[in-house]
Order: sequence, then C-alpha cells, then structure tokens
Amino acid sequence: MSEIKGSVGPVGNQGDIAEYLAELEDIPGTRVYTAARARKGYWLNQFAMSLMKEENRRRWRADEKAYLDEWQLSDDIKQALLARDYNRLLDLGGNIYFLAKVFSTDGLSFLQAVSTMTGMSVTEYKAMMDAGGRSPEGVRSIKGGY
Amino acid sequence: MARITAGVGSSHIPLLGVAVDQGKTKDDYFTPIFSGYEWTKEWIKGEKPDVIILVYNDHASAFDANIIPAFAIGTGERYKPADEGWGPRPVPDVIGEPDLGWHIAQSLILDEFDMTIINEMDVDHGLTVPLSMMFGQPEAWPVKVIPLAVNVVTYPVPTGNRCWMLGEAIKRAVESYPEDLNVQIWGTGGMSHQLQGPRAGLINAEWDNAFMDGLIGTSDRNRTIPHIEYLRETGSEGIEMVMWLIMRGALGAETRLLHRHYHVPCSNTAVGHIVLEPVS
Ligand SMILES: [Fe+2]
Repeated sequence: MSEIKGSVGPVGNQGDIAEYLAELEDIPGTRVYTAARARKGYWLNQFAMSLMKEENRRRWRADEKAYLDEWQLSDDIKQALLARDYNRLLDLGGNIYFLAKVFSTDGLSFLQAVSTMTGMSVTEYKAMMDAGGRSPEGVRSIKGGY
Repeated sequence: MARITAGVGSSHIPLLGVAVDQGKTKDDYFTPIFSGYEWTKEWIKGEKPDVIILVYNDHASAFDANIIPAFAIGTGERYKPADEGWGPRPVPDVIGEPDLGWHIAQSLILDEFDMTIINEMDVDHGLTVPLSMMFGQPEAWPVKVIPLAVNVVTYPVPTGNRCWMLGEAIKRAVESYPEDLNVQIWGTGGMSHQLQGPRAGLINAEWDNAFMDGLIGTSDRNRTIPHIEYLRETGSEGIEMVMWLIMRGALGAETRLLHRHYHVPCSNTAVGHIVLEPVS
C-alpha cells in the first residue's frame, strides 16, 4: 500500500459509517443534522431560506397559511411552523440555521428562539447562560448515561 | 514569495455583529468580550496583512439545501453582506483577491483537494463578524479577503484531520505564489455552543481551553478528535471548531502563542480567540 501524505488513518469511528451514524443519535436532547434529516426536511429548509428576501417576508407576514400552501410541505410541518414549535421542526428535518430565517423574521434573537426548545423561560435560559451555560455533565451520551 | 505570517482563531457569533453595528460594544454585557480583542486590534494594525484567507462556514445564506460543498474557495472580485433575515449588516463590501484565490484553488486541486470554486456569493456573519472584531467599523476593510467556506452543517462534515491537511496544502499553495504578499489565515466559529433542542446552551470551558492549548507549539493532538467528541463535549454547533484546524495546519509544524482570550457567554456561545505565529 502506498503511503498517503499526511494521513493518520481513520479518525475515531469515522471509518465505520454505521457506527458513526448510530453515535450521532446517542446525544440527549440533540438532533444532529444528518443526511437522513436533510432529506426529510428538504422543502422545510428551502421554505425557510425563502425568507431571506424582504418581498417573501412581507408575503409570509401578510398570510402565513397562504404562503405555506405554495410549498410542498406536509400538514405536520405546516402546523409546526405556524406554532413555531422548533423541537418538532427539528424532528421533521429542519436545521437551525435555516429555521433562523423564520425566527429572525419574527424579530427574535438566537437566544430568545433557542430558549423555546429547552423548556425554560427566556429569563431562566439567559440566567443559565450568564452563569456559565449548561454543563455537559450527564448529557453527553444516552446509552452511556454520562 | 507570498507567505503566511500569522493565524487567528475566533468565534463569529452574530450578536457580536449586532453589538458593533448598534454601538453597544461598551455595554457591560459586551465589555469583557471586546476588551479581549483590543490586543489583537492593535497587533493587526502593525502587521498590515495584504490578504486574509478567511475560513468560515455559511449558515444557510449563500448555500441553500440544494448544493452542499465540503470545501469552497471564493475567487470573486467582491462579496456583499448577506441578508440573513433582518436585512444585510451595514458593513463595507468584502474585497476579494482573485489572482491569489485562483492560484490557491488551482494548487489545491493539483494537490488533490478538489475544491468548489465560487465567483459570486453574499457572505454572512461567519465571515463579516470576525472582520468587525479585528477592524472595528472602517469605511472600507483594510485587507483583501479570500473566503474559504466549509460545510459544518450537514453530516458528515469534513474530519478534523482532513481540515488540518487542507491547511497544510494551503501553506504550500501560498508559498508557491511569486508576489510578495503578507497573508494571514483565520479559522472561525465555535467555541462550545448548541443552538438546538432541549440540550441547547451547553458550554464546556475546560474542553475549549484544552483545544486552544492544543493549537500551540508542536502539538497535533487536535487533528484526530472525532466528530462525536465535539458533539458530546461542546454542543452540536461546537463542531465549527474543525475550521480552526485548517488555520493550524497552515502554520506548519510549530506555532508560538501571541494572544488568547476566552469568555462565557455571548448569547448562547462561548467566545474564544487565539493569535498564533508560525515558528520556522
Ligand atoms: Fe457559525
């Protein structure tokens, strides 16, 4: 075998794709944006992306339901969008950087929008961040419980 | 000959852009952050780099869900600030360096890094916030910029090792450019943060600081950190730190620490930045 310049071999489990993907699902309270989620949420994310244009934001604000009907979205996704249920939207294949277009259009900051996924009020969440954030202790692995 | 004279690692948190744009940098909340960048702002005034290779990620601004380049290099003449949902930032256009950009793109491809080449795009907070942190609010940015965008959003993202190797190839590419240019490379993003789900708000100061330690001197232990470790230890968006390894790889075998700074929090995120120079 010829030597590969700079190679240090497979990094961690990254040589075994099945194990690699399984581990991405092993983090509590986290939906890693895998290929599977990217496929599922394709049009959800493309819809969100459309809100980067002021003209589209105006139409969305004027009639959210009518704007959603222009997109190939399931009723589940439409409901979750209208309810701004971001955890549900993550389950439906949404990615936070795309969904940011929705909450930015609502005039929410990242901190305000992100707090809605944690079960805390904005005030509680901000207090946690100001005190140093959430500790990784106990929330690293579902299976490992550490 | 062009050469890479320094590397900077820095967070690129959107709220820092808001603070600059709205004149809030002296507010109590922001003072500990911006004061950490004062040293760097003075230093870069003396260094006067000609070009910055600015490694960042696009946050669903220039690239939608359709096309997902792993590594993309900008060869355009200029780039406008993106409208990320609240209107474009009031910052100057970013001026490119197409001659060096194309030289690096060609060299990288011949060095077996098959880059995506971008001629026209808007650049989001990932690229413009670090410029604001280093240069404040000038009429025009005092440097040319070669954007280098990395996919750190859709998995699998490039491995840390691959990022490091890309950095090494960038160093070779820059050093084969005949014009005398002072080039810096910046790796941006991070540090620990998670912007999604019930675990949002995760911060790991101990891990972040160990990561910064690992950028200094001859250590190369950061290059083999697997994705799952970034995710578990630093939150889902902490993976952005692989981009710092492109910067580190481009500095060669050994680095010297010039400045480092770390603060929690800014919005949902740990702010960190480090200034390194190659030891040759
Ligand atoms: Fe980012």
